[in-house]
Amino acid sequence: MPITCLPRAIKEHAVLTLFKARSVITMNTAMPRASAVLVRDGMILEVGEPEQMQPWLEGQEYKVDEQFADKVICPGFIDPHLHPSMAAVLLPMEFITAMRWKLPWGDIDPVTTADGFDLRMQALHASKEANEPLFIWGYHQLWHGSMDKARIKQVSDERPIIVWHRSFHELYMNDAAMSMAGIDPAQIKPGMQIDIEQGHFFELGLGFAINRLNPWILAPEKYAEGLQRLKQVVHHGGHTSIGDLATGLFNFDTEAQALAEQLEGDDVPFRTRLVVHGTRLTQGGRKPEEGPAMAEALLSHNTHRLSFARHIKLFSDGAFFSQLAQMQEPGYIDGHHGEWLAAPEELERHIRAYWQAGYQIHVHVTGDLGLELTLDILQKMQDEKPRFNHGFTFEHFGFSTPEQIRRIKALGAQVSANVYYLHELSDSYAKSGIGYERASQMARLGSCLKAGINTTIHSDFTMAPAEPLNSMWVAVTRQNHAGNVMCPEERLSQQQALEAITINAAHTIGLADITGSLRAGKRADFTVLDQDPLTCEPDALRDINIAATVFEGNVFPIE
Amino acid sequence: MSEPASSSHIKPVTLIGGYLGAGKTTLINRLLNQPELPSGTAVLVNDFGDINVDESLIRSESNNGNVIGLSNGCICCSISDDLSQALDQLNTLPITQVILETSGVAEPARVWQHCHYPGFLPKAAVVVVDAVNFEQRSKDKYVGALVKAQIAQADMLVLSKTELNPHFQLNNLTPQLTSRDTKLIETILGWQRAGAHAALASETTKLPRFSAQTWYQEEAVSQRDIDTALRALDASVQRVKGWVETDAGVLQVDKVGANVAIKRLEQDAKPNILGLVFIFYVDQNSRTQGNPLTDWEWTKTAS
Ligand SMILES: Nc1nc2c(ncn2[C@@H]2O[C@H](COP(=O)(O)OP(=O)(O)OP(=O)(O)O)[C@@H](O)[C@H]2O)c(=O)[nH]1
Ligand SMILES: [Mg+2]
Ligand SMILES: [Zn+2]
Ligand SMILES: [Zn+2]
Repeated sequence: MPITCLPRAIKEHAVLTLFKARSVITMNTAMPRASAVLVRDGMILEVGEPEQMQPWLEGQEYKVDEQFADKVICPGFIDPHLHPSMAAVLLPMEFITAMRWKLPWGDIDPVTTADGFDLRMQALHASKEANEPLFIWGYHQLWHGSMDKARIKQVSDERPIIVWHRSFHELYMNDAAMSMAGIDPAQIKPGMQIDIEQGHFFELGLGFAINRLNPWILAPEKYAEGLQRLKQVVHHGGHTSIGDLATGLFNFDTEAQALAEQLEGDDVPFRTRLVVHGTRLTQGGRKPEEGPAMAEALLSHNTHRLSFARHIKLFSDGAFFSQLAQMQEPGYIDGHHGEWLAAPEELERHIRAYWQAGYQIHVHVTGDLGLELTLDILQKMQDEKPRFNHGFTFEHFGFSTPEQIRRIKALGAQVSANVYYLHELSDSYAKSGIGYERASQMARLGSCLKAGINTTIHSDFTMAPAEPLNSMWVAVTRQNHAGNVMCPEERLSQQQALEAITINAAHTIGLADITGSLRAGKRADFTVLDQDPLTCEPDALRDINIAATVFEGNVFPIE
Repeated sequence: MSEPASSSHIKPVTLIGGYLGAGKTTLINRLLNQPELPSGTAVLVNDFGDINVDESLIRSESNNGNVIGLSNGCICCSISDDLSQALDQLNTLPITQVILETSGVAEPARVWQHCHYPGFLPKAAVVVVDAVNFEQRSKDKYVGALVKAQIAQADMLVLSKTELNPHFQLNNLTPQLTSRDTKLIETILGWQRAGAHAALASETTKLPRFSAQTWYQEEAVSQRDIDTALRALDASVQRVKGWVETDAGVLQVDKVGANVAIKRLEQDAKPNILGLVFIFYVDQNSRTQGNPLTDWEWTKTAS
């Protein structure tokens, strides 16, 4: 049972609402298109043509809602893998990025030159109250040139300014920021992962800086503000359901409490499926075998919008953005190796504990060796205890081989891909990572759909923009930031890509019984668009205006 | 004693690495239960639950053994990391040195970098090698490259589980100990990578500083000469191990304390590297003692 608590008890004389649209895209193959949806108390009574809905309306109080009469109603979009807690840290910062980000408080236009970056820094500086610290995220040397303290100083010497790298793995700050954070340059010695002359903090030096910047970035009120912003971002992207694919990332209790405070309530236009970070759950000496019972206990905390289910998140290989994905031969061009986030035996032990307990297991895999290991483990599990309809999901799915696609299918698993990797990284990974052949074939999604694998796409926000239409656009065009089409053979059709962000995503996070398509009996979750995403030009996909979302029958307009 | 004030507070970190289940925690538990463990030793372990910490050891003011648990994490998936938080926490405590158990999948060289943290400096990377599983692991499709890298990056290897596989050999010239070596604790804690940061030289700990030197053989020597030379070594040389080509064939040398064991290897068992590694200590309180191996080089010419 995916959700424990049903919408408000059905009232005796609930008013019915008949939503009319230019077209309704249902994602239900038995009735792909319609022109109206009839809703009572958040539930769809019928999808179809108004004339056929008369039997429901007879003797009932109802209203006809024509505000979407010239719009296209789609099933509410779903991002099955993002990280609200990470987003809460990032979103209060100012963005200066090489890629476009559409945010509720304004579009972030791409800045692709060093001069452009400096100009934006100056403009942000001029727009702030005196002495308010300025946190900037999105710097990348490939576009913005080399960064150092002197460069930040040219913007301001008095205002604390912190420039965060796009990868999150390093930051730069000026003297004002260092003294704000209480960093004493005399403490810093050569050889540390801190270049104090340049104001540069990386790896563990970054940890050192963050521990001292915490009062500004992780203070409870900041965190709450960040979650409020996340709420806007999720709404703005057109989502009506999301998956938090690692609840407990920082600290389980504070996170759970903050989520309950910020992401529950009548003003929240989406539901969140919480998937627990498995190794965090049992860290501190608990055995993995105790995990399922501990996860089970969480189900009692479910509320209307926030719900755990028998899902668990585990990790295989390292971060894609840092080239720490584990690769099969011939590996990386420079010969370096990726990294395991857990020893293969440990991963297997965790997977076995949850497999035996009947859980749906989501494993973060980035490289094709990470995928191979996880497939080997899944094969072992199937040999030990065969399961059908187990929903085992490969999360991110950076690199893969055609042979692995067959194994995924044969083992009954599914794929949730971060397709945005292809857009942002395929060009640079072709040149200085793994070569063109494999870089162009990252996110091998066409093959997945051809094989009949349930396949969805996600943003892993804040790793990529939380804009399903943008993800859809990348999956359909496979265009990278340099404007090149990478492996057109793996493109999705518009129909397939829309399935990926609706019904397939719902299946992946265990919500398909209540959302993901429009049919009698499901929740009335819609994303309302100005243009038809199935018939528009593929290139127009990411710019389609989202007029509103409807969550369980309630309209939430998007300005 | 002309060190600047700040560096006198710099705490050396000894890394204990090695693949999953190699015996890192077992080794640390042994260290923790030794009377020789200097007071103010803090321990960071990658999973708090596995360590049999004697409550009294943590509590007792005299011993000050602080044990802090870490968990694996990548900064991509988490805003900060446990290690930097733990080190910041340790900075507020009156400790003198740190023993850090790395995760089983960590490369010591990476963690070494991480120990260049304000208030700390890495001192030695000790890697525990599982005598039962190493062979198979080093060929594993998934972790072969990793376990080989762990060994290549070590300053000292501790072979574990040798009683279960007494014939286990690692044919390389990295200093090697087993858990049966006497003075294991002193050697591990007193170990210092050659050329590790000079600030560590004035360490407050009373333990002698242990070190190693490797002699790579270029020309064959006579068995008699090598035997004499081994027996003439200064008492501060605690352990010698390696392979030497002589007029009597390739010999495996294993000197522990005063006992010299020399074994002739079969023709096909010849190691691909020839030389000896010497483990010795330098008494830091004695200003007169020099390198006990300055005389060794003569064997080069005796053929
Ligand atoms: N027979 C034998 N068993 C040992 C020896 N050292 C460790 N073990 C056993 O090996 C197992 C793993 O030892 P640990 O000390 O937990 O290994 P670890 O490297 O800390 O393991 P992780 O922290 O999980 O990577 C335990 O069951 C130990 O009792 C040894 O020298 N001989
Ligand atoms: Mg251990
Ligand atoms: Zn991930
Ligand atoms: Zn993620």
